[in-house]
Amino acid sequence: MKKLIEAESTEKIDFNNITIGIIMTESKTLTGGALLFEVLQEHGVQHVFGYPGGAIMPIYDALYDSDVKHFLCRHEQGAAFSAVGYARAAGTVGVCLATSGPGATNLITGLADALADSIPVVAITGQVPTAAMGSDAFQEIDIFGLSLACTKHSFQVTDINELEKVLHQAFEIALEGRHGPVLVDIPKDVQLAEVTQRLDKLSHLKNKVKLPLADISKALDLLTHAKQPILYVGGGVGMANAVEEVRDFAEKTGMPSVSTLKGLGAINPDNENYLGMLGMHGTKAANLAVQECDLLVVVGARFDDRVTGKLDEFAPNARIIHFDIDTAEINKRREADAAILGDLKGNLPLLSTELDIANWQEKLKQMSIDYAWRYDHPGDNIFAPAVLKTVSDLMPSNTCVTTDVGQHQMWSAQHMTFDDPSNFLTSGGMGTMGFGLPAAIGAQISRPHDTVIAVSGDGSIMMNVQELATIKRYQIPVKIVLIDNAKLGMVRQWQDLFFDGRLSETDLSDNPDFIMLATAFDIKSKLITQKSEVKAAVEEMLDHDGPYLLQVKIDAAENVWPLVPPNTANDKMMESV
Amino acid sequence: MNSMTLNKYQLIIMADDKQVVLERILQVTRYRGFLINGINAEVNTGNNVATITMSVSSERPISLLIDQINKLIDIKGVKVDNSEVQIKQHSA
Repeated sequence: MKKLIEAESTEKIDFNNITIGIIMTESKTLTGGALLFEVLQEHGVQHVFGYPGGAIMPIYDALYDSDVKHFLCRHEQGAAFSAVGYARAAGTVGVCLATSGPGATNLITGLADALADSIPVVAITGQVPTAAMGSDAFQEIDIFGLSLACTKHSFQVTDINELEKVLHQAFEIALEGRHGPVLVDIPKDVQLAEVTQRLDKLSHLKNKVKLPLADISKALDLLTHAKQPILYVGGGVGMANAVEEVRDFAEKTGMPSVSTLKGLGAINPDNENYLGMLGMHGTKAANLAVQECDLLVVVGARFDDRVTGKLDEFAPNARIIHFDIDTAEINKRREADAAILGDLKGNLPLLSTELDIANWQEKLKQMSIDYAWRYDHPGDNIFAPAVLKTVSDLMPSNTCVTTDVGQHQMWSAQHMTFDDPSNFLTSGGMGTMGFGLPAAIGAQISRPHDTVIAVSGDGSIMMNVQELATIKRYQIPVKIVLIDNAKLGMVRQWQDLFFDGRLSETDLSDNPDFIMLATAFDIKSKLITQKSEVKAAVEEMLDHDGPYLLQVKIDAAENVWPLVPPNTANDKMMESV
Repeated sequence: MNSMTLNKYQLIIMADDKQVVLERILQVTRYRGFLINGINAEVNTGNNVATITMSVSSERPISLLIDQINKLIDIKGVKVDNSEVQIKQHSA
């Protein structure tokens, strides 16, 4: 009989009490701006992304003397996404800076993206001087108010003596529990004000609130009685740094597994019981297996609507064991039979046990074979899934791939394989076009020795195309695979399938010449249009030392299959029409 | 005519008396699908603790809102008054 061990529960931290016991020490005089960079360095920050402007000039003046390396992006949204990419690729906090007003509002989409995907980012915004606040001053916006819906937490610092404490809190909050973005708004006079006392140390005396302990016993009972269990793996696995534990669990139990978009890379793609991605564009084997299973072990996932399809009909026969660090995700969309709150890394091994499910494994293995991807596309035109499989097969190990949003994103998820969640960065929750290029820049800066590939579409790349200038400025060797169908392909696909083919505003046949565009930014490039050109072109791209753009013309009518139509059960997927 | 059953709840929220804590609670409450029927807030009193009593109604389970309010950094705790009332609204 397995000895029961209590799971570690999550604890809510009272961040307002973390500075109890602080010792103030006299130190050199620092401006608020200089203090910011000292605190950033204390938190290990080496790189920040930003764009200067009037209300953040004292911070940029302090940057001039700082050892922190700043990357000038060409739009604040680019800075925010680079910070997100940096954080996700390196498993650390990403930092971005922007001025007040439009600079601050331009960060919002990046912060919303970070909130939706639980990414630790600290955003610093300049603000008009405190005396001018509330007067509709030039470049004044209530970014603090705007931040409420798109950050995990936010601060506005109106007293220089609060600045250091707030900055430490911002980093703690970004990384505590379920990660997320934190915004710190600093008025210009606070940036200029001087401080002579530093916090000697943070005592970390936290006021912890115990959450209920998990019912491990019940979960073990459900697990050992299951005949057809499935492990449903989400983005929380990577966040929890629990890839090894999840892989061990999958191996020891032999449980067939499926992954969400953000969970890709958590399960070793070579695991013989791994069925691929589930959901709207998931594999047929994954979706059918989940619909048929009698137990779902959910690790760091949240029953997202793109995963479940019609919620009432999702995994209709399954009992649920739900592991999560966020109490609010338990029972939010699907009631759990056993909920295990807290650190996945510590808790999942408590359930690890061998299971007698050979018949179920064999059935699903056969299903995987029967429904395997096919790349024998007729004709000479390039088949996008085959291109992405070729890139995946040829790219070096530990390559980090980012995507934008649309058909190319789903094809990447389906046809590329990743050996770690930090090697596949895609905008999952928010689905933000324009994510891929700046995220790749951030990823490359955080991992200079790894190959970084941005897979984009001809619609998405134009959303943050100005970041090609950032690539040029710093000669960042990002490889861009531009899947070009001269369409907003995913919207066009839905218009064809669900709106009677009324193609409203999805034609992009007047796109710029992407080769000429790349040349303008000193980026080597190549256009391919035929299947026979793919392998050599991908090899040339990967062999090139600097940045490279590979434009891949594909058939504009190509669709992403399979597809679970909206409000439909996952076993009723469309495969082609 | 569709009928929609709204459950009505009284919440008592204790929070650190920080800037915009009330705005944060209101934003979460609206976004998560709860109507605010009444509110009494003692904030910015200099006592460090804010007390907010709020009546809300929704067809959604109250645990959804409690969990989301509890996630706010400045919240110390949320209690539901046990005298739960169900009201029915009719819409054409």
